[in-house]
This record gives sequence, C-alpha cells and structure tokens, in this order.
Amino acid sequence: MSLASAALTHRMPRWLVRHETILAIILIVALIGLGALNDKFLTVDNLLNQGRLMTEIGLIALPMTFVIVTGGIDLSVGAIVGLSAIMLGYSWKNFGFPLPLAIVFALVVGGVAGFVNGLVITRVKVPPLIMTIATLALYRGLAEGISQARSVRGYPEWFYVLGQGSIFGVPTQLLILILLIVVAGVALDRTTFGRALYAIGANETAARFSALNVDRTKLIVYTLSGLASGLAAIVLVSRVTTTRMDMGMGYELDVIAAVVLGGTSIFGGSGTIWGTVIGLVMIQLLKNGLALTGVKGDATIVVIGLALILSVLIASSLQGRRE
Amino acid sequence: MIPRHLLTTAAAALALGAWATAANAAGKWDGADDLPTNPLACEAGGAAEVAAKPYDGGQPTNPPDLAGKEITIVDVPKLIGIGYFNATSKGIQDAAKELGNVKAKTDGPTEAKIDEQIKFIDNYITSGVNGILFAANDPVAIAPVLKKALSKGIHVIGYDANSTPDAREWFVNQAEFNGIAKAMIDSMSKEAGDDAAFAIVTSTFTTPNQARWIAEMEAYAAKCHPKMQWLETVEAQEDNNLSFNQATTLINKHGDKLKGIFGMTSVATPASAEAVTKAGQCGKIAVVGLATPNAMKPYVHSDCVKSVVLWNPIDLGYAATYVMRAVADGKLKPGDKSVEAGHLGKLNVVNGSEILLGAPFIFSKDNIDKFDF
Repeated sequence: MSLASAALTHRMPRWLVRHETILAIILIVALIGLGALNDKFLTVDNLLNQGRLMTEIGLIALPMTFVIVTGGIDLSVGAIVGLSAIMLGYSWKNFGFPLPLAIVFALVVGGVAGFVNGLVITRVKVPPLIMTIATLALYRGLAEGISQARSVRGYPEWFYVLGQGSIFGVPTQLLILILLIVVAGVALDRTTFGRALYAIGANETAARFSALNVDRTKLIVYTLSGLASGLAAIVLVSRVTTTRMDMGMGYELDVIAAVVLGGTSIFGGSGTIWGTVIGLVMIQLLKNGLALTGVKGDATIVVIGLALILSVLIASSLQGRRE
Repeated sequence: MIPRHLLTTAAAALALGAWATAANAAGKWDGADDLPTNPLACEAGGAAEVAAKPYDGGQPTNPPDLAGKEITIVDVPKLIGIGYFNATSKGIQDAAKELGNVKAKTDGPTEAKIDEQIKFIDNYITSGVNGILFAANDPVAIAPVLKKALSKGIHVIGYDANSTPDAREWFVNQAEFNGIAKAMIDSMSKEAGDDAAFAIVTSTFTTPNQARWIAEMEAYAAKCHPKMQWLETVEAQEDNNLSFNQATTLINKHGDKLKGIFGMTSVATPASAEAVTKAGQCGKIAVVGLATPNAMKPYVHSDCVKSVVLWNPIDLGYAATYVMRAVADGKLKPGDKSVEAGHLGKLNVVNGSEILLGAPFIFSKDNIDKFDF
C-alpha cells in the first residue's frame, strides 16, 4: 500500500469505503440523473410497480447470498421455479388438491429440490457448480415431462391477491420480500448461523476443525434456496395467472448478478444482504429508468452491462485502497 | 447439447412413477393444445360453419378523445431482431407514414420470454403511450398487464399471437388456424401422397400459435386424409442450428418411412429444407411449412420445396396500425362487421372481436420471386 493512499483512507471513515456504501452512492446518483431526464421515473406508482416486478428475483437472491457466502453456487434456482410452478398447477388441477394445499405442496417441492442439491453436494462431495448444472437440466426436464408442456390456468380470484394485489397501497409480494430481507439480514449478520456461513466460505477446513457442522449448514442453505425458489414460483404464477414449464428460465443469472454486484465475493467468505438488496434494486431501476427515458430494449442491455462493469470497477478500486 | 427429449425421458424415468403415469395417461405428447378444433371442409375453398359471435373484447376505461389527433403507439412483438417481426414492424411504419398522424415505435425483448415482454409493456404504460400493439408470448400470462393498460385508457390491439379476448380490444388475425392447417395438410398430401408418414418440427410445445395449428392439423388430417401417419413432433425453439439438427435426426431415425416434414416456424422450415438437401433426400422427403419467402427461395428454386404457406407479415403490421387508428378515431366500435384498412380494403370481423387479414397464401416457384421479405 502506497503512502498516499494510506493517508487517504486514514482520513475517510471506514463505512464510507465499504463496497455497499459506494454502490448505494452510485445508485442514488443514477436515480437522480434518470429522474431528471424523465418525470415518470421517480413516482411512487412506478417505484412500487418496479418493486412488484423484482420480487421473484429478490426472493431467490436472499438465500443465494447465503450460498455464495459459503463459497457455493446454485444454478438450478430458475429450474426449481419452473418445477414448483408446474407442481402448483398440476397438483391443483390433476390431483384435485385444494389450492392452499397445492401452494404448500409447491413450496415443499421447491424445498425438496434444494435439499437434494444440498444432499448430493455434501454427501457425494460433488462441486456445487456441477451438481446444480445437472439439476438445472433435470428439474426443467421434470417440469416439462410432468406438465406435458401444457399450461394450467383459471385460478380463483383470491389467489391473485398475492401477485397482483396491494396492502395499504404496497404490492403484496413486496411486503413479503421486505419481511424476508429483514429476516435474512438479521440471520446473516447477527446469528451464529450467519457467522458459520462466513467461516465456511473463508476457510472450510478451518471451520470443520472449529467443530462447526459444515455439512448440516450447507444442507440448510441449499434447502432454503429451493424453498425461496418455490415461493418465487407461487408469486410469479399469481402475478401472470398461468403456469408454464419455461417459467424462471434464466433467473439464475439475474439472481447471481444481483448478489455479486452487491459485493458478495464469488469465492465465499464475504458479502451482505444489504449489498444484495442494493444490487437488486440497482439492476431493476436502471433497466426501468432507461426504458422510460426512451432507450430501446437492446441498447438497455448494453448500457446495463457497462454500468455493472463500471460500478464493480469503482467499488473494487476504492476497496483496494482500503486494504 | 443433449437432445431435449433424451433429457425429458431421463427426467420422466426419475420422476416418481405415479406422476409420470398419470401425466402420460392424460394424452399423447404431440405439441397440440387442448382447445376444441374446427376443421374446414375437405374440398378446395371449403369453409367451416361460423356462428356469429357477439363482441367479446375488452374496452379501455375513459380513453381520451383522440379522433383525428396525432397518437403515439408502441409495438411490442414476441421478440425483436428476426425477419418476421422486422416485416410486421415495416408494415406498421408504412401505415404510420401513410396515415400521417401516427407515431409508431417497435421495442421488445431479444428473446421470446413472456416475463420480459410483460416488463416492456409495463414500462410503456408508465411512460404514457396512446396505444399498444402486441404479439403475445403467452395468451394468459400477458392478460394482466394488458388489462392494466386498458384501465389507464390506453388502446390495446393484438396481432399475430392473441391474448385472452377481454384483455385487448381487437386482434388482427393473420389467418384462421383451421385455414392454415388445411393448406398445410392438403399441400403435404398432394406432394407426399395421401398415405404419407410425416413428422413436425415446431418451436416449443407451449407456443400458442404452433400448438393451435398442430391441433387443427391433427383434426383436419383425421377428417380428410385419415391414412396419413403422424410419426412425431419435435421441439427446436426458434433456433436455426437446433432445427437443422432435429430435422437431420428425424431423417436418420425414420429412414425410408419418413415422407414429409412440416416446419411450424419461419426458422424450422428452411432448416428442415436444408437438412433434407444435405441428406440428399430432395424429392423423396417433402418439406411443407410456414416460412418467409426470402429464406425459402433457394430451396424452392432447387425444387426441394414446392409449397411455402404463410400470410404477408407486412400486411399484418399494416392492418394492425389501421385498426389502431380506426379505434382511436371511434370508427371501429364493438359490434361493427368490418373495418377499412388502407390498400388492403375492407377487412371482416370474425369470432366476435377479431379482424381477419385473409386466406393463407401459398408461395410456390411461380410466385415466390414477386415477394421480398
């Protein structure tokens, strides 16, 4: 570390050079800029609506942060969304389950799918990347096979409250997301479970020697990942009023982008829920703000890509100074 | 890449037996949908009985009075950057220029994903347009966001791929499903024989148009060409390479038994023709399908393909824009029987709230060079 930058970081408070803080500042600057360009962007209506649209990705991004903090990855989340969605419709229509039971069943299917990932990863020692690539194909194939690629439609009105309704003007699913953000944030930052995740990600061998139950902890995070994907599936079905086997296709990339942009190290050992939330909001609002400002869809993707690289560069160069 | 059906088979084997058996007992897996079919009469020019249906579209809530005023409309197709939707987009621009008081723009996802398409439409509702033209990736999933547009007083017109009727005001129907099905099956029977065994290359089993056509083809073949034999339907997304590979697999798998391949998308048909050409099976395996003329010209000129079934997508976009203008001007109201659409003349209202573009068009060696799209 050079003398100059040492002097610089010395004068700056520590919280200011955190990745999340820098990202939040970039986000606020971008929001003000886009808001100045377009009077439809910074309205309560639009922001709440964007909250509705990002909930499914957000729900999965929370346990994905846990998974990545332990040094793992879960690429099967999008496929689990598809499988859970199909099982919701299929069990309701073909098994004749009452809808509340079908909803629980879809959650269970998601949880079991995640549990299977965790079980094989911890027992057979298959790398998470390989296992979840395999189940990405397997779960999507199951969804297609079971549904015969047919959609289930015509759910009762009350079910749509979850995906299309509002409580006190706030989209129902956004309230669920906010609640779970708080729960996940506390769990990661304030509990022994959270500490164990960092320990495993930083040095798994050391964690084992410290008498942490590494396998059980991993099993829990992959199961949570599956459960959250199941929940996202239910919200998505309620929002779009139909089940399709291709639901959630490509979600894994959006989710991982949000988590990694939020400062969680892909090698494990560091990351926060707060960072993930900023990453999530940043991607969603940039897309929305650019679209409202008249940037076309194909150009938006390019701008988003550049913005992501830029924010990661700025954040990591400032972080470099700190270290 | 592992063929999708292999994956699915493996998956189905792994699935708890009870589910899989229950699912398979429900029906065969042919890429058709469950909706009722209405096959046309077997003789040429035959028409099915059409019962007059009352208007079943939706209406915007308190739309502003736009008669004669300039309107801003956005066109959100299934995806952008493919020849077909470039052509509809050109038709929309042509009509906008001709009308003079329509500002139109095409924007949409780069992949045919319903979730992305919903977000595009949602953003345009927020940005405040007067009208939305759409081609749906899923008829039901798109409905909530279209209803939201209607509730904000925005006019909503579909083309190419419909939504549930109450989520839009009108739908411009490029060709009725049973008309396309009849043209496809009749062409195949003429080229490959009335007892030909054939296979189908489609996009995915969930794509609504393709599923509808296949269901109607099944019904029409059963009614008018009962000896024709349906080997299988394979999925190839709308992917050039995958379509070619799937068609080649069909040729190798079924050997001499295979007399014809149907291409259900503008990607699958030229890819299937290419596969037949590469396999040296021209003249032995007939290719009939939906495709744009430019992509099919080489195969039509080499006599490998004799019939290409389609409508004119430029006319489709053109008609949709005229319908939008007529609705904004209050000239097309629920219950009307027809609408004026520029150089296309008078188009008829069918099925309650659909506007029919016309009968499907068959491109052959004699006429294909007259078209450029």
